[in-house]
Amino acid sequence: MSLEPLQLARVGSLYQTGLAQSQISDVEKKLIQIEQQISTGKSLINPSDNPSNASVAMQLQKTLDQRQTYLGNLYAGQSQLGVTDNSLSSLNDLLQQAQTIASANLGAAVTPAQRQGAAAIVDGLYNQAMTLANTQFQGVYIFGGDKSTTAPFVTNGSGVEFVGSQNVLKNAFDANTNLAFMVNGAQAFGQLPATVPSSANLTPNLTGATRLNDVGGTSNDGVHLGSIVVGNGSVSATIDLSKATSVQDVINTINAAGVGGITASIGGQGMTLSGAAGDNITVKDIGGGKTATDLGILRATGAGAGAPLVGSNIQPRLTPLTPLAALKAGAPVDLTSGLKITSGQQTYTISFAGATNVQDLLNAINSSGAGVTAQINAAGTGIEVLNPTQGMPMTIGENGGTTATDLGIRSLTTSTPLSDLNNGRPMTLATSGADFSITRADGTTFSVSISGAITIQDVINDINTADAGGGITAAFATTGNGIVLSDSTSGGSTLTVTPQNFSSAAADLGLTTPTVGNTIFGADVNPITTDGVFSHLAQLRNALNAGDDASITSAAQGLKDDQNAIITIRGQVGARVQEMQSRQSRIQDENVATNSLLSNLTDTDFTTAITKFQTLQQSLQASLETASRVMNQSLMDFLQ
Amino acid sequence: MSLIGALNIGTAALSVSQAALQVTGNNISNAGNPDYTRQTATISTTPDQQIQPGIFMGTGVNLTAIQRQIDQSLEERLRSSDSDGQAASTAQDYLSRVETTLNALGDNNISTQLSQFFTSWSNLANTPQDANLRQVVLQDGQSLGQEFNTERSQLTNVQTDINSRLATQAKAANDLAQQVAQLNGQIAVAQGGHGQANGLLDQRDAVLKQLAQIVNIKTVPQDNGTVNVYVGSEALVAGTTNQGLSMQLQQTPQGPTPELVFTANGGNVPATSGEIGSLLSLRSQITGFEKQMDDLAHGLIFELNKIHSSGQGLDGISSVTATNAVADPTAALNTAGAGLPFTPTNGSFVVHVRQKASGQQTSTLVQVDLDGLNSNDTSLTSLAASLNAINGVSATITNGKLTVAANSSAVDLSFSQDSSGLLAALGVNSFFTGQNASDIAVNTTLQSNPNQLAAAKNGDPADNQTAMAIAALGTQPVSSLNGASVNDSYQAMVDQVAGKVATANTNVTATKAVITTLSAQHDALSGVSLDEEAVNLVRQQRAFQGAARLVSTVDQMMQTLLAMPI
Repeated sequence: MSLEPLQLARVGSLYQTGLAQSQISDVEKKLIQIEQQISTGKSLINPSDNPSNASVAMQLQKTLDQRQTYLGNLYAGQSQLGVTDNSLSSLNDLLQQAQTIASANLGAAVTPAQRQGAAAIVDGLYNQAMTLANTQFQGVYIFGGDKSTTAPFVTNGSGVEFVGSQNVLKNAFDANTNLAFMVNGAQAFGQLPATVPSSANLTPNLTGATRLNDVGGTSNDGVHLGSIVVGNGSVSATIDLSKATSVQDVINTINAAGVGGITASIGGQGMTLSGAAGDNITVKDIGGGKTATDLGILRATGAGAGAPLVGSNIQPRLTPLTPLAALKAGAPVDLTSGLKITSGQQTYTISFAGATNVQDLLNAINSSGAGVTAQINAAGTGIEVLNPTQGMPMTIGENGGTTATDLGIRSLTTSTPLSDLNNGRPMTLATSGADFSITRADGTTFSVSISGAITIQDVINDINTADAGGGITAAFATTGNGIVLSDSTSGGSTLTVTPQNFSSAAADLGLTTPTVGNTIFGADVNPITTDGVFSHLAQLRNALNAGDDASITSAAQGLKDDQNAIITIRGQVGARVQEMQSRQSRIQDENVATNSLLSNLTDTDFTTAITKFQTLQQSLQASLETASRVMNQSLMDFLQ
Repeated sequence: MSLIGALNIGTAALSVSQAALQVTGNNISNAGNPDYTRQTATISTTPDQQIQPGIFMGTGVNLTAIQRQIDQSLEERLRSSDSDGQAASTAQDYLSRVETTLNALGDNNISTQLSQFFTSWSNLANTPQDANLRQVVLQDGQSLGQEFNTERSQLTNVQTDINSRLATQAKAANDLAQQVAQLNGQIAVAQGGHGQANGLLDQRDAVLKQLAQIVNIKTVPQDNGTVNVYVGSEALVAGTTNQGLSMQLQQTPQGPTPELVFTANGGNVPATSGEIGSLLSLRSQITGFEKQMDDLAHGLIFELNKIHSSGQGLDGISSVTATNAVADPTAALNTAGAGLPFTPTNGSFVVHVRQKASGQQTSTLVQVDLDGLNSNDTSLTSLAASLNAINGVSATITNGKLTVAANSSAVDLSFSQDSSGLLAALGVNSFFTGQNASDIAVNTTLQSNPNQLAAAKNGDPADNQTAMAIAALGTQPVSSLNGASVNDSYQAMVDQVAGKVATANTNVTATKAVITTLSAQHDALSGVSLDEEAVNLVRQQRAFQGAARLVSTVDQMMQTLLAMPI
């Protein structure tokens, strides 16, 4: 309520009434505001009532909304992890039961009929495990990763293939925290898929289309784009590369700057700057930038007029888009021969005809029907092939050329260590003397000891040395994998390999395969095998049916390992759920504080409001009373 | 020195008292008229008569003037504060409407819709394949779009109202100016160079007061009793001529806009205060709010589409038509010639062609060359050509809109890794269509096929990385909004409106205080006080009674003289 100035010379009649009117209307206006505050419970009705408080209040409300989102995600995450834990718990019980069956059915006291009954139970467990592996929660196959729209575990021949994804979903549970709310299905139900690791560095040459996102830069932490200064000894120019997205962009921008005669071009895995005869090329970074450094073309001091700047390797990464011609820094890669993949008993020949980029190559392998997965390795330097099928060994060999070797995905090579063979099962060598003897077609025999051999190549050398020109040549297969023994002699005998001194070497090296003509094509003894719940249950079932005690024991051991793995994963799930619960309760605590702050800013303080209301009410009454008295008084009344 | 002289004095006194009584009567009868200026009768003694050398005798009283009690400079100040007061309350009215439109502290506004929208994306990230969650995202996107549309059209309505109010008030001001010109003429004639035509002057002051409330004026009184009225430095009324005020359509950067002009010469009226001045300033302020809201929607559309267009839905795309047309298909796509509502940058994107049966996909990098070098920048035509070169893809241009389609039913398409923003700029695989607050809407393609809503980024069907990225968009600084986030931009707009309304509220109170003070001063001088007039009445009655007694006394004396025997 504003007070009117009262230094007045005279008081007009209209002034008196006008003043009373405006004072009454002022009070009434304020009364209405307070009334509104009391009836709505809000002290801030419009932001303009108190712009700064309103701004804070809106931000607080935003924070609350955001937290509500996180809470929703936490509930969803916890329920999904809860279902996951239930499934894993059932799986754990199931594996325990299988182990109990295994130990109860060992030994001679158990009849074949009992074992077959047990095998039927294990078969049931196998089916149950399959159901658990394909558990659905709200339409999501919880073990399917980011391919959870379809069942992640499918039967493939005699094995079970993991067709889900190992990429598990994450979501935001905090402004800066994205946490996984799934577990890796492949890991939960067995070992991670066994892999033929990339044994060849396929790092490609740069092309114009190579995206700067796809190169590591000289220090392999990406290219930090900014401006560089290019000079030729007399003039220099600042070149802004911040808009460049590809190698060609960088080259075009440098060329367009036209510093002397300096032009940029691609040189293998780096860039080259060359100039005219008089150009003494320098390239510098600006301030704290590291663009030139990352692009491998930093040269603070010129190397002399006319000297080109050959940039260093900027580590291009292999991507699905990499052209095959650029692979392996442009070194020749045999892509015409193709390769052979065996999965279980099936062999698939893969041809790369028509493939132009890495994705085409991967597609050719992945769509071969072999049920294997080819992918670019994590470092982006090569290709690896996974065997996602439990119980189906996989091998990758040549198809007469060098394709598999060139791509670095041959599962058995001359440099494979003997200790890796047969899934790492140790080879029993002769304690003294030869490990095996070889009988030539002419009937002569020689003995071979491989006691010092470390790799397949060593074995080949040992055989060739022991033969001493007797007509046998040991070599590595050019088609498929394995040691090949060729016999150039002839006679009434047959080329044979015979173990000696209780050594398992001949069999373990795959040399006991039947002779074909004058040749023994050794078996591929380095199968890439993925084991897990399904392969072990299948092994147990088959072993029970066959009455094979050793196999039952080994299956039981495998199941025990699976169980231990599950216990670890359940521990992780439990820890994650606990973390989510603690986040949830922290957010709820924070909400209490934020809500009270928000309430202080926007809610009516009833004590104050009602007191104010009463004061205003009295003020209004007083105004009305004074006005009525003042307006009723006039000198006219007193004059006769 | 004669009885006749004394009789004359009495007669004059009687008529002066009557006249004074009439002035008092006039004052009393106008006591309730706020436009009335109190009048006072000025009386003076008549010149003395020398009856003998050195002796002067009074000859009575005379009425010299009937004076209006007014302070012209105070009136001028009062008119100016009336202008300001009217300007402030007009600003308050319209800005409160804008504030109500934004409804920032209510339950349903752009801010709450944004929160809900981003939350539904975050929920979708929990179960990307869930059809219901997809519907919720689309529904919330639609609600957000509609909220933008509604608020934006309400702002437009406020603009329309302002324009029609401007037209009304311009006409009212013109009429008032016309009245001033007419009154000027009447006053000049009535006064004829001397005296005061009080009634006409009061009328003119009342008209000027009304005019001042509409537009800020300055008055300059002239010797002949007329008054010239100026708006800024230009005369609106000069003597008896009214220059006239009217609204005229003029070209402005916002299109044809009605502007206030002098009818006589078409010049712009520099109105800075009064209702019209306030309306003109409000119009540009609200244009500013409209732009802010449009910029916010524009930024949201582009940034969200940039993420969405590089994502993949559950279903591949068999055919997609850009929602934004290119004006000149041969112009580089980031130039004005291309006329895209959003500006793409130099970069590239990847087109995937998937064999539906096997799920195998082949990928092709499409360069978007917009570096301005080598005269080979990408145009819509060259883009269509590079897309056509991809095995399995056909691209066509119809009416400036690009259509990308799988050229067999055995394959479908998807896009990813767009570093150029071109797909979003063209509106290919976009979430929002439109380009500002008035036309933002959810892409109808998605509404008819929610499976094409992109939650995935790596091509796997149940991937959620795009959904997560969009859920985080609300709080992330984005380049389209000059480094502010979507939420912050909205907050800045609300803060600005709130600040303006709060200022308008303060202005209303402040100008009201000034007006009250000046009115009090005006009333102190020019207002009628009934008590005062009652005293005047008594005084004038007594004076009349005294004069009458004088006349009757002189009469008796004359009787006495006449009765003397001759």
